[in-house]
Amino acid sequence: MSENWVRACATDDIDEEDVIRFDHDGQTFAVYNTPSGFYATHGMCTHEEQHLEDGLVIDDVIECPLHQGRFHIPTGEAKGAPVCVNLKTYPVRVDGEDIYINTAG
Amino acid sequence: MADYIATNAASSGVKLDKKLVKQLSRRSDRPGLIYTAQWLVLLALTGTAVWMALGTWWVIPAMLAYGTVLTVPSYSMSHECAHGTAFRTRWLNETMLWISSLLYFEEPYHRRFSHASHHTYTWMEGKDSQMPFDTPMGLKEWFLEVTGIGLFIYESPLYIRNALGRFSDEVRRYTPESELPKLKWGARACLAIYGSLAAVVLAGYWWPVIFILIPRLVGGPIMLLFTLIQHVEMQENTLDLRDSTRSFRTNWLGRFLYMNMNNHIEHHLYPMVPFHQLPELNKAVKDQLPEPDPGFFRTNIEVFWVVLKRSLRLGTKAPSIRQAPHMIAERGAKAERITKGYV
Repeated sequence: MSENWVRACATDDIDEEDVIRFDHDGQTFAVYNTPSGFYATHGMCTHEEQHLEDGLVIDDVIECPLHQGRFHIPTGEAKGAPVCVNLKTYPVRVDGEDIYINTAG
Repeated sequence: MADYIATNAASSGVKLDKKLVKQLSRRSDRPGLIYTAQWLVLLALTGTAVWMALGTWWVIPAMLAYGTVLTVPSYSMSHECAHGTAFRTRWLNETMLWISSLLYFEEPYHRRFSHASHHTYTWMEGKDSQMPFDTPMGLKEWFLEVTGIGLFIYESPLYIRNALGRFSDEVRRYTPESELPKLKWGARACLAIYGSLAAVVLAGYWWPVIFILIPRLVGGPIMLLFTLIQHVEMQENTLDLRDSTRSFRTNWLGRFLYMNMNNHIEHHLYPMVPFHQLPELNKAVKDQLPEPDPGFFRTNIEVFWVVLKRSLRLGTKAPSIRQAPHMIAERGAKAERITKGYV
């Protein structure tokens, strides 16, 4: 595993249809458990900096807690105003009971 | 990191279990569809009453009822849909946002972006784009606000400017550059719809006047009395929403028309929570909040009484509603005004 792959958490650490925050090397990530699998994105909303860990996962969408702007989790695409800038996504791999993120994106 | 702190539960020092917040925030189409169906039934009943009463004095109470039922929920639904919380299904939410915003008289995209600013900077001077009057409020401002004249004076030039693509600095402040074309086309679409209705009237059909224009004007003050007491007489420029925002008690009809937004502090603390869960949110967080003010009528009467006495340089301590300390002046004192941020 390359040095950019970092263990974020265990699969059990994230409830179904939920998101948690993972901080590493000065960066904040959001790690998701969605109906279509585990994903990771940058951890802050691109509209006005809010932690997405407090947001709501609805199917494959994360809704920002402050203004309810929405992103498509697998692609990071901005799906609903007031967000309009896409969210950076990161590759995720599940190894046993652990979730790893490629922090290089 | 952002160079500001958004006004929310964290800035207010209110704590609630994260899982409970997310549980209360769960989305469903059902409550929004039930609400819409109930609203349509009420509109049909009161609208029929207006139709049957035309030409008699009974048209006055019928129009008051229909105007209230048309206007207050149009504001409430527009607000809820701007948050995206009325329905789980996105297109339902966006469709109702357009319909209700048109009735409320605000272009839907502008509604959403300006309201986002209101949540980020709740009652912050010069930053909250929905801080429509000077504080402490004077009698003239009360009149302009409650009659809807203030809203008309603000929104009408905004429609024209946005439709022409001549965005004010204020609009540019809270709207991302990439979204400005949506504001332009949204304003054009709204003006085209209003223009079409005007053309229908000019062609000799009076139903837009009877069933939209007059009831909207009649119901406007009721709607604006609901929105007035959300923040009036409260503290500006504070991060604690408990000091800047008012929750109030109201009866079942008020809660229905206003979509439970009488729980207004709760809504600002956790804007993800949809309207139908606000009573549950209130139960969960009430031990951290001040007591709600007494009620829609009493709160408004006390606000008016305070505003009137302020204009007469009399003491401005209200009998029972919550007021920021600097809103309370002794007899003869002149109010130190904070000027509104927009326009």
